[in-house]
Amino acid sequence: MAARLLRLWALYAYLDGMWIARDFRSFIFYYLADAVTAVASVAGVLLLAQRFDGIPPWTRDQVLFLLGFGMVARFVPDMMGNYNVLHISRRIGRGQLDHILVQPQPVWMALLTEGFAPFWGLLSLAPGVGLMVWAGQRMGLEATPSWLLAFALNLAGASAALMAYAALWGFAAFFQPRAAEEISGSAVDLLTDLKGFPLDALGPGLRTALLTVIPAGLMAWYPCRALLGLDHGIAALWVTPAAAVALCCAACLMFRMGMRRYAQVGSSRYTSFGHRR
Amino acid sequence: MHRSDRADIPASGIVVECRAVCKTFRQRQPSERPRDVLRNLLHPRFRTVEALRDVSFTVNRGEVVAYAGPNGAGKSTTIKLLSGMLAPTSGSVRVLGIDPVAERTRYVGRIGVVFGQRTELWWDHPVAASYEWKRVVWDIPRERFERMCGVAREILGVGETWNTLARELSLGQRMRADLGMAMLHEPEILFLDEPTLGLDVLAKRSMTRLVRQLSATGSVTVMVTSHDMNELEQLAGRVIFIESGSLAYDGDFAGLRREFGDLRRLVLETDDATAPTLPGAELVGSQGMRHEYRLRGAGADVAALLAGAGEQCRVLDVETHRAPIDEVIAGIYEHWGRQRPTGTA
Repeated sequence: MAARLLRLWALYAYLDGMWIARDFRSFIFYYLADAVTAVASVAGVLLLAQRFDGIPPWTRDQVLFLLGFGMVARFVPDMMGNYNVLHISRRIGRGQLDHILVQPQPVWMALLTEGFAPFWGLLSLAPGVGLMVWAGQRMGLEATPSWLLAFALNLAGASAALMAYAALWGFAAFFQPRAAEEISGSAVDLLTDLKGFPLDALGPGLRTALLTVIPAGLMAWYPCRALLGLDHGIAALWVTPAAAVALCCAACLMFRMGMRRYAQVGSSRYTSFGHRR
Repeated sequence: MHRSDRADIPASGIVVECRAVCKTFRQRQPSERPRDVLRNLLHPRFRTVEALRDVSFTVNRGEVVAYAGPNGAGKSTTIKLLSGMLAPTSGSVRVLGIDPVAERTRYVGRIGVVFGQRTELWWDHPVAASYEWKRVVWDIPRERFERMCGVAREILGVGETWNTLARELSLGQRMRADLGMAMLHEPEILFLDEPTLGLDVLAKRSMTRLVRQLSATGSVTVMVTSHDMNELEQLAGRVIFIESGSLAYDGDFAGLRREFGDLRRLVLETDDATAPTLPGAELVGSQGMRHEYRLRGAGADVAALLAGAGEQCRVLDVETHRAPIDEVIAGIYEHWGRQRPTGTA
């Protein structure tokens, strides 16, 4: 199974590469637009941190690290879930799931691989990594093997949490295809728009809500607190990965329910719009 | 096409088996009256639509079967049931001895599906890239892939659009590329749902040629739906007719003509612009001194009709031919339409 997954990822990476490199002008403008968008998405918080020399209790460098972390955590779902897979409610709501059902592989495998686009949005990765490395150097952060492991776990957890949250809402389209067609996009936007803000100043109720009901805090704020030592104790390092696992389990459950329903009612709608880039 | 690498496939026998298949859907029936807004939200009304009612049939290996019926008769629902996208409400569907829904991943590797209004091609990629995608996802051995690409190029003319982006293909080119792609893994059964929708004569002809070539090998079973009955008659030896979800006819086209009226045409060229009145024949139209009549094939006494015409004018020329199958079908649809109670789906 692992070999098949790797083969499929390689195939989709090839298709993505072919698409990006179809002609020189598109190539240049595509990356240029992406870079501008990436910088614009963090500019507000970056300027605030610069103006006030940090956002207490976060220092300016810690805020930079948080912003970089959020950008990278956002890049991974984009890389894994392109072609509307991250916006799964579109696929379901537009009746395009039928295309996956005629493929001789499990639906989850198709969804996990079909959106793989490592070259797409690559420039939004570079500023994120750059910000983290630069901020880490300024803070004198020691990247020990155990810290790197915790970092990787939290980054994977933050990315998985976003994908699972988008899917969890997106699977609502199994039950209401028309009304919920764009719901996973809204769920992604909700978390993405809030990911760059340190949430310490909020009351405990709101903070809890932003870690559970709308888990925007898991995208960067909570994992960075744990990684940068603002939250003491090793348990804090496990919160984001554990929450991601819980969200993934909930999404899997919803997916199974949705697929059972789809086998019964199918989709009476079909639009080719947005089907396969 | 040879199948040296598919030696496990038996040469004959039943490959599609539908037994007492029913499929029902619930359809919301909202009221348009403003005062019913709350009721629509809290207690919406539904009606049950029986898309398929107790449908049973079998298809043998190598058969080419036309699956026909008017709009909304249940053709696409049947194709979805047979391709593993939908489960029946009751009854059983077995294809190649497999339950298409329960064992979907194993099953769909052995069938091919083409929907006329959809494409499996990658929109922003050349046709070649879509074919390569299919090779990897379906795990098609390289030798079979190359051979089937050759078939697609040779019979369907896919070679000329090999490096063209799918979004830049004409409808006919796209359909041919889609059909070629559906054949790449050499499916044992091919389900074609209105594959010639919107195609010109040449594109239809190359489709027909491929299906005929497939049926000639006897190893591929084809089920095809279409509204073009002339095309279906050319393609298939057997037609299954479905109406309002129920099986209305299962047999060959000659039997269909016999059962639902073997219409014939009689064309008279006379010396008079006024068409002679012929008892038992219905005048379809006149063009100058050429008059066309519709008559029942069996029991129509052409000699008596000609004698009757001869009494009214001088007959210069006579032609008779069988009415197109489309006309027979139109008659059947009209007949069903009259029989159907008002308000039925």
